[in-house]
Amino acid sequence: MSDARGHALSLREVSKHYGSFAAVERVSLEVGQGEFLTLLGPSGSGKTTILMAVAGFVTPTAGSILLDGADITPLPPEKRNFGMVFQGYALFPHMTVVENVAFPLRVRGLSRADRDAKVRAALDLVQLGQFADRLPKQLSGGQQQRVALARALVFDPNLLLLDEPLSALDKKLRAELQEELKALHRRVGRTFINVTHDQEEALSMSDRIAILNHGKLIQHGAPGALYERPRTRFVADFLGKSNFLDGTVRDSRPGGFALENGASRLAVALPDGEAPPADGTRSLLSLRPEKIDLLPEGQSADNVLEGRVVSWAYLGTGFSLRIATEALGEIRANLPAWRSAFAPTEGLPVRLGWDARAAVPVAEDAP
Amino acid sequence: MDGTYRPGTVGRGLAWATAAYLVLPILIILPVALTDQRYLSLPEDGISFQHFRTVLTSPEWLGSIWQSFTIAVAATVLSVTAGTLCAIGCWRISRRATELIRVLMLLPLIIPSIVYAIGLYRYFGPLGLLDRFLGVVIAHGVTGIPYVVITVSTALATFDPRLEQAARGMGASLSQTLRWVILPRIAPGIFSGAIFAFIHSWDELVMVLFIASRDVFTLPRRIWDGINENLDPAMAAVAVLLILFTLLLLMADRALRRRSEG
Repeated sequence: MSDARGHALSLREVSKHYGSFAAVERVSLEVGQGEFLTLLGPSGSGKTTILMAVAGFVTPTAGSILLDGADITPLPPEKRNFGMVFQGYALFPHMTVVENVAFPLRVRGLSRADRDAKVRAALDLVQLGQFADRLPKQLSGGQQQRVALARALVFDPNLLLLDEPLSALDKKLRAELQEELKALHRRVGRTFINVTHDQEEALSMSDRIAILNHGKLIQHGAPGALYERPRTRFVADFLGKSNFLDGTVRDSRPGGFALENGASRLAVALPDGEAPPADGTRSLLSLRPEKIDLLPEGQSADNVLEGRVVSWAYLGTGFSLRIATEALGEIRANLPAWRSAFAPTEGLPVRLGWDARAAVPVAEDAP
Repeated sequence: MDGTYRPGTVGRGLAWATAAYLVLPILIILPVALTDQRYLSLPEDGISFQHFRTVLTSPEWLGSIWQSFTIAVAATVLSVTAGTLCAIGCWRISRRATELIRVLMLLPLIIPSIVYAIGLYRYFGPLGLLDRFLGVVIAHGVTGIPYVVITVSTALATFDPRLEQAARGMGASLSQTLRWVILPRIAPGIFSGAIFAFIHSWDELVMVLFIASRDVFTLPRRIWDGINENLDPAMAAVAVLLILFTLLLLMADRALRRRSEG
């Protein structure tokens, strides 16, 4: 199980229409061998439909799905050899843990001895060996989830598909299982495709994230690249939180530009190779709340803004502030609480500052 | 249960009266069966088991019991097979048309059995099915289908369709999914349906009066004839045996349900 190579999957212009409603609209995506890809989006974004199309439960209206270059679009799910962990796990309630995990092997007509060995290996993989003879209802949510994982991996599937695998668990357990799932992915070296609406889960587990909205693929890339360089307002807003500042582009040059909004001019630096927008065009900036600092007296930054605290919340790790500024309206800023003598009060005047590299130009979403 | 209204005196009285109304006619059979007289009556000088002895030694009664039993078993097999397949089919296809089919399947319950019996009499004649074991089995089996459709559909309503998806995703064919996932989940429903279908055939009289005469002489038919011809207390003894048997079946049904829920 550990030496198996993952398989590569590609979606080519896949669409799924229900009457005049487009659940998925021309989505093209490559998933590399052994990659952990997460399809992330709000409910109704088409992410589950795409997963179900990959699994074979949904037939695309147009486009094709290829596994290692071979077209599998017309193949029924039982012929695809994909492991799947369903939302709510879909364990067979009348079977014990062992019987559940052995099911895909029984279907394939494996001998009892082969079955037993593989089931034991799969249960050890998810550390459930001692629960072999329990029924699903005698297990906790986290244990059930692991049974579902073992059952989906035991038959050496070409791909592992995960449909919101952690959504039924409480927050703490979810964080634990995120780590476990990631470690499991490293151990088995298979291609995982995960669906979630939880951005934290997507960021922490995936090699790559594909963000979907209204059935369209908006942007995909490594978690860090997506978080740092969102291309649209939706991505900046859905993956993490963001302030949005709009204005007119001035002083456009390679490596940066200035954004003019009323009396204020904001300095924006661009990474190498990114073309600046043309002078005089409208531009929208995404500015992460945690990239804004509170400037002490006498200190300066690329961008400085005066304002007053409207409201604040203490989050343990930091403060979340809403600050009213005259130049740019309301701004959200997050400050680390530790090693900061800052004691927020409502109405407190503050000076905000941020680096020219902190703000990222993003496109308005297509309607 | 806490937090609910307590029943008032009137409500409680009505409930007991209803229960008594349901049970008393059944209970009255018991002393009658134990009568020491030679006609249908309450015991006068003491109780006696002679009528039970008569029933259990008479070839006519035993023959009818056996005939009723085999007919009921065969009819149950027919009802369960057809009813289960129908319920699963309707559930899988699940369109408006299948709702119609499900209602159609309940017709034998809705239509008075005498109407059904007249219909059967008309067209069993040319088919040579009158007074035949097979004819009664078909009649009872078909009219037993609704019970199975109802209980199996109820069981399927709580079946998580993702289990079927999960089975398919793991490579199971339709027949494997049916055998290993769907049927075990709905087995209690099938058993319940089987028990009701069996009871339905076991005590069915109206259709038998029309489509059977001499060769097929079921237990209800023999009781009916006994009542009409001579008021033999043996009928009461048979009735007691019937009640006990039915009670046993219903208890089996309950036990099965409890096990599947527990």
